[in-house]
Amino acid sequence: MKTNLYQNKMLIDDLSCFFSNKCVLENVSLSIIKNEILTIIGPSNSGKTSFLRTLNRMNDFNSDFSRKGNVFLDEENIFHMNMEKLRMRVGMLFAMPIPLPMTVYENVIYAPKRLGVIKHGKKSEMDAIVEQALRDASLWDEVKDRLDSSAMKMSGGQQQRLCIARILAINPEVILFDEPCSGLDPISTAKVEETMIALKKRYTIVLVTNNVKQASRVGDRTAFFLMGRLIEIGGTAKLFVSPKEQKTNDYITGRFG
Amino acid sequence: MRKIKDDIIEKIIFFCGILSIVFVVLIFGFLIKEGISFFKEFGIVDFIIGKFWYPSANPPEFGILSLIVGSVLVTVGACIIAVPVGIMAAVYISELAPKQIKDILKSLVELMAAVPSVVIGFVGMVSLAPLVRVFFNIPTGLTAFTGSIMLAFMAMPTIVTISEDAIRSVPWQYKEGAFALGATKWQTIRRIVLKAAMPGIIAAIMLGIGRVIGETMAVMMITGNAAHIPHSIFEPVRTMTATIAAEMGETVTGGLHYRALFAIALVLFFITFLVNFIADLFLGRSKNK
Amino acid sequence: MIKLNPKLSQKFAVAFLFCATIVAIIPVVIIIFIIIKNGYSAISLEFLTAMPTNGMRSGGIFPAIVGTLSIVFCAILITLPIGVCAAIYLNEYAKDTLLTRLIKLAIVNLAGIPSVVYGLFGLGIFVMFLGFGVSIIAGALTLSIMELPVIITTARGALNSVPPAFREASLALGVSRWQTIRHIVLPNALPGILTGAILSIARISGETAPILFTAAAFYLPHIPRSPFDQVMALPYHLYIISTQIPNMPKNIIFATALVLLMMVLSMSLIAIIARIYFRKRRKW
Repeated sequence: MKTNLYQNKMLIDDLSCFFSNKCVLENVSLSIIKNEILTIIGPSNSGKTSFLRTLNRMNDFNSDFSRKGNVFLDEENIFHMNMEKLRMRVGMLFAMPIPLPMTVYENVIYAPKRLGVIKHGKKSEMDAIVEQALRDASLWDEVKDRLDSSAMKMSGGQQQRLCIARILAINPEVILFDEPCSGLDPISTAKVEETMIALKKRYTIVLVTNNVKQASRVGDRTAFFLMGRLIEIGGTAKLFVSPKEQKTNDYITGRFG
Repeated sequence: MRKIKDDIIEKIIFFCGILSIVFVVLIFGFLIKEGISFFKEFGIVDFIIGKFWYPSANPPEFGILSLIVGSVLVTVGACIIAVPVGIMAAVYISELAPKQIKDILKSLVELMAAVPSVVIGFVGMVSLAPLVRVFFNIPTGLTAFTGSIMLAFMAMPTIVTISEDAIRSVPWQYKEGAFALGATKWQTIRRIVLKAAMPGIIAAIMLGIGRVIGETMAVMMITGNAAHIPHSIFEPVRTMTATIAAEMGETVTGGLHYRALFAIALVLFFITFLVNFIADLFLGRSKNK
Repeated sequence: MIKLNPKLSQKFAVAFLFCATIVAIIPVVIIIFIIIKNGYSAISLEFLTAMPTNGMRSGGIFPAIVGTLSIVFCAILITLPIGVCAAIYLNEYAKDTLLTRLIKLAIVNLAGIPSVVYGLFGLGIFVMFLGFGVSIIAGALTLSIMELPVIITTARGALNSVPPAFREASLALGVSRWQTIRHIVLPNALPGILTGAILSIARISGETAPILFTAAAFYLPHIPRSPFDQVMALPYHLYIISTQIPNMPKNIIFATALVLLMMVLSMSLIAIIARIYFRKRRKW
């Protein structure tokens, strides 16, 4: 039990979320283990995105949002943490690629600059951060010759990997992926998935996806959400071969959703 | 360090945010302070319904009825011209005009809003007033009628732009439904589009009225400035705004006349507040749809 | 009533509406035409750069141009930062509370107050109460309060046109709210804000009533030395020479009107061109 606690990167304890008093997430408890990819599957409106956005408190900007229960990051309650500090440790990638309207280079260095990670004017230091982040996002070879062109001109898949690089540049501990491939073609999707698997050596990853096959390809463990409830969580292979719950079985075999 | 700097900036932003309220309260407070001290010496009833405005007579008379009549007359006159023309122009520009000239027409209408009111007053004085005098064979061309025409021009951009916005934002499904039933374009506009855009059009009219009532320089230059109750629109009139602008320079600070002008400003404040408030209500309603 | 054939009535209606549009447009064309026709002959370099002479009946309008520019410059310097901050508050920070609704109501109200009432207020508070006297600064403060609602509204529109996704992306990286606004939202809203500011400058250059008792001098043939000086102002000068000076040569009045009109229209034109240019260059 003790060792298990030690492995937990994040612990979600009886979490419920509400938008204008409408319950979108009900009494969810689960743990996220260090250096795993936890995939979360479920039909739309199952509360999986609300759950993910609670983990780095992105929902806090919505004035209709309220919650009960707690979330711990390394045994520290995230709702007692400074919001900006939390987001530096728990990064998030959105469904649609959102490059900021500036060059590739500026996109990657934006957050380190604004967060004061680097000192002013140290060009070599900045170059190193940009190169490392782009390499880790498997984008370096494609863009190394046009770091100064606008990020808006890249392809969708490149943009999404640029967004990953932007997160890697601030060196977070956990990365939340919110349906990161929903707007991408199969080849770009495969590249993003490769990147994710490569990243799990150093980061803990939570992936929300609508694509059951994607979950089975990259997930170490998988959680199934339905109507705001956690129905089942377990090892991906096990959950897909012999789910405990009938509803899980119905969903992964494509009977609804 | 960063956090403190952010906090300070956010405090400044909040302060600027509420500054609008501070200014409104300040303006209102100032007007009410001078106004009340005026009403203490000169009754509010005599002020509103008094027919005579003789500020330098002995004893002075501060009845603003003739000024109110002047303002209302000029405003109504301007609206009679500007409202129908403005709405028709808005319909044409948003629904009927060929695409290529739509933007040109719009910019030309908006161009009028950019012309300073003192320029409009001057042109009205030297070109329209003589025409009016000769055409109607009256002793002076500086009349309520002349003022109404020039003010109608000035209200036009407001009415056209805001109505056009309202008409354009009528969902195309409405129009398509009517076309599907075999209605012509004009029938659709008359029965469907205008009805749906009505809140926005009413807001446009209210804002146009607000613009006309508050107009100062042009009316001062072309309405003749006679403080009496006119018998027809072909007589000179004097508006509330023109009275303030023309007489403030001659008053003794803090004197009764000075405070009387603040009392007029208070009346104007209430009127324009009401007009703009109503406009905002209708504007909100037309946006929520 | 005779029932018209719908096709025929459509034709009539279109023709009628077209005429109405022409009626709405023609006055401004005529006004500009009259002023150019009668005024251009008196325009010369001397007219623009010399002091007025002979009781303003001859000479130039230089001090009036300088006066107007200095008032407008000061006014925009005051109102732009305040207006942009207020817009940032409303668009980026404010939640739908009673206070927010009050602020919005106050802005609607400020936008509707007649310009001459602003003039009175400016006289009462800046000239008298704060003791600035009739001066550039008193006039500029009056104009800046008057222009505040316009600046707030256009700046809000510009901020609002920056996609919300950019904010989310920045916030999700742990960048603070103000830093996000400062480095992501503001740079992308800047073109819109600047266009609005130019339009505001054009508008307040032509305002007369608010500076009537707060800044404008009847006749003052020298250039202002400090913000606490009185100045001649172009719109007020036009009002004076067209109504108060007997035997004023007509072409000088028209020329003065032409200079004022060109100042205002050229600035509006710059704003419109800038808007088209920035819209084409927009990156998203």
